[in-house]
Amino acid sequence: MTSGNVLNVEHVSVSFPAEHGRRLWAVDDVSLGLERGTVLGIVGESGSGKTTVARSITGQEVPSSGEIFLDGVPLDAHRSRSTNRAIQMVFQDPYASLNPRLTVRQVLRELLRIHHLVSRDDEEERCRELMRDVGLPPAALDGKPGQFSGGQRQRIAIARALAVEPQVLIADEPVSALDVSVQATILQLFHDLRERLSLSVIFISHNLAVVRHLSDRVAVMYLGKIVEEGEREQIFSDPRHPYTRSLLASVPRLHAASVAPPRLRGEPPSPVDRPSGCAFHPRCPRAEEICARESPALLEAGDGGHLAACHFRNEPPTDLEDS
Amino acid sequence: MSVVSAAVSALAVEDLSVELPRDGTTIRPVNGVSFTVERGRSLAIVGESGSGKSVTLRAILGLLPKGGRVTSGHVAVEGRTLKESRRNLGRGRDAHLSIVFQDPLAALNPVLTVGAQIAEAPRFVLGLTRRAARDRALELLRLVGIPDPVRRYDAYPHELSGGLRQRVMIAVALSSEPKVLLCDEPTTSLDVTIQAQVLALLSDLRRDEGLALVFVTHDLGVAAEVAEDLAVMYAGRLVETGPVSEVLSSPKHPYTFGLLESAIDVDTPDRIPLAIPGSLPDLSQLPKGCAFHPRCFLATPECTTTDVELRSVGEGRASACLHADQLTIGTRRS
Ligand SMILES: Nc1ncnc2c1ncn2[C@@H]1O[C@H](COP(=O)(O)OP(=O)(O)OP(=O)(O)O)[C@@H](O)[C@H]1O
Ligand SMILES: Nc1ncnc2c1ncn2[C@@H]1O[C@H](COP(=O)(O)OP(=O)(O)OP(=O)(O)O)[C@@H](O)[C@H]1O
Ligand code: SF4
Ligand code: SF4
Ligand SMILES: [Mg+2]
Ligand SMILES: [Mg+2]
Repeated sequence: MTSGNVLNVEHVSVSFPAEHGRRLWAVDDVSLGLERGTVLGIVGESGSGKTTVARSITGQEVPSSGEIFLDGVPLDAHRSRSTNRAIQMVFQDPYASLNPRLTVRQVLRELLRIHHLVSRDDEEERCRELMRDVGLPPAALDGKPGQFSGGQRQRIAIARALAVEPQVLIADEPVSALDVSVQATILQLFHDLRERLSLSVIFISHNLAVVRHLSDRVAVMYLGKIVEEGEREQIFSDPRHPYTRSLLASVPRLHAASVAPPRLRGEPPSPVDRPSGCAFHPRCPRAEEICARESPALLEAGDGGHLAACHFRNEPPTDLEDS
Repeated sequence: MSVVSAAVSALAVEDLSVELPRDGTTIRPVNGVSFTVERGRSLAIVGESGSGKSVTLRAILGLLPKGGRVTSGHVAVEGRTLKESRRNLGRGRDAHLSIVFQDPLAALNPVLTVGAQIAEAPRFVLGLTRRAARDRALELLRLVGIPDPVRRYDAYPHELSGGLRQRVMIAVALSSEPKVLLCDEPTTSLDVTIQAQVLALLSDLRRDEGLALVFVTHDLGVAAEVAEDLAVMYAGRLVETGPVSEVLSSPKHPYTFGLLESAIDVDTPDRIPLAIPGSLPDLSQLPKGCAFHPRCFLATPECTTTDVELRSVGEGRASACLHADQLTIGTRRS
């Protein structure tokens, strides 16, 4: 555990009951560190466990093993109000998370009061400041969620999260439901918040372009496990895991000449039937015999701090991966 | 049915306009849209949410929402004009025209096995025997890359993953042996690796079966991969058309330019994407002149009064901008 981190997730596993009395391991022995004032991106296919990791951090899921530390202090299952305040989450669909009957001002004031954050006299000024932080005019305080566009609602959801002065903000697909032209503005907002408020952010997305744009560090998940982790450019310029390389190669490019041949056949298996050895091996273009037998640990690859869970993490990609 | 032209396009849409009732007024979400798609080729339509892409596809199929009306235009598939009433046969199965929607779960019948849904058109539209229809359905399941088709034949839609459901949806769409496939964001809800598989499948179908595609997407990268031609839609009108590579490398309409500037590109992480200021106008109160003028960085007073039509701006290219010639590569908004 690194002491400079605002948040540490240590060997956390989360399981759910599945059919026939079996268990589904949605998150399997995941460790993560979030350095203060940075953005950690989490990418991975649908069902890889991204949201479940987030929910275990906010306390909405109770891990079956492992621990989570905030500022070095372990969080137990029963969290205090101040702990809950310290970790805030923003979701894909801002509309669902906002009360349609309350004005933005009412929502923010209530939060400020519950948590005794400012004196009554300063409430209005703090509300205006929050609007400035998220790039909305003060007049937006009088509006109700239904009156705003998708991008504006996402700004309001962010303002609400910021109102309680969290130490960690977790954003789960915050731009996925937004129009492309609006995504850009929300990303810019996250940039600004990190710079100005030195906010620590976990940013979850299946959109690699968005994650590359915003993150300092990136973790790649597959079937409940982190398969690669590193500084942004370690992941995007020197990916060591065949899955990461497939993901990157699959992103549609603006100046593509034609349809790129798919890098991966098939779909991820169910976490209930985790394949033996390396769970990626049935789809992996470079799998060898050892891969079905031995599970690769998440180990140092290349430069400092770059980790990959592949037996061949220190060997160059093979031609097989291009087919 | 009548023959409309000798040089036959797989799909020809001419001057299509649609009106829909909304909140006591009438909006025109599709306004004078024309395009053609040749056999084996693909046209991508892009534009912000609400620009009229889905309504355009629905109007082509004759599947407009209640109260909706085609007020002008005509549609021909391989030279045969489709009458609106004839198109409206559910899934457009009559007219060699099929559609794939973004959300296959909503489009598929939850209480029928996927096999039965795929066999329906071969049996009842193409008139195959029960057995032959089943074989055809299995063949289609194989064609769209579904592993273990015999077992999957008896599965219900909810038992399949999103990627498999989308393939089933494509198999259903292909089951009536269409000449033209309309795709409304068919990969938007899929992961990139699965999206790549579906896009490759569609490109195989074009090559091998000569299928013509109209592909609606909001992702310019997907458009670049899937299509030769691009149509950019704004507030119900096509504002720019042309070969996709040319349009994306040197746009001739400020709106296209704005879409490109706002795109977040995985290969240039340090380029800051710039959003287009403002938002799509309310269709019941469209700005006069060029509907894009309140958001346009090139707008002049002339733009607020002059109606602009799509007009030629070079070989195979058209733009609905009075100042198209002022856009050059590298123009950057300040
Ligand atoms: N409450 C639950 N009960 C049972 N299974 C669950 C539950 N929540 C999640 N899962 C399963 O856990 C796995 C991980 O799900 P999770 O939602 O964390 O994935 P994700 O990476 O966030 O996916 P997406 O990109 O689709 O949001 C999936 O197989 C999912 O079906
Ligand atoms: N059933 C309906 N009744 C009334 N108006 C509708 C209906 N369906 C669509 N519209 C309106 O028609 C316009 C065009 O909508 P359309 O669904 O074609 O947009 P789109 O370009 O497909 O957007 P998106 O990218 O969000 O799918 C919008 O203003 C929309 O509100
Ligand atoms: S360990 Fe083997 S199967 Fe797993 S990613 Fe590496 S090469 Fe592929
Ligand atoms: S016509 Fe005028 S307002 Fe419209 S896009 Fe061109 S420059 Fe902009
Ligand atoms: Mg999720
Ligand atoms: Mg649509």
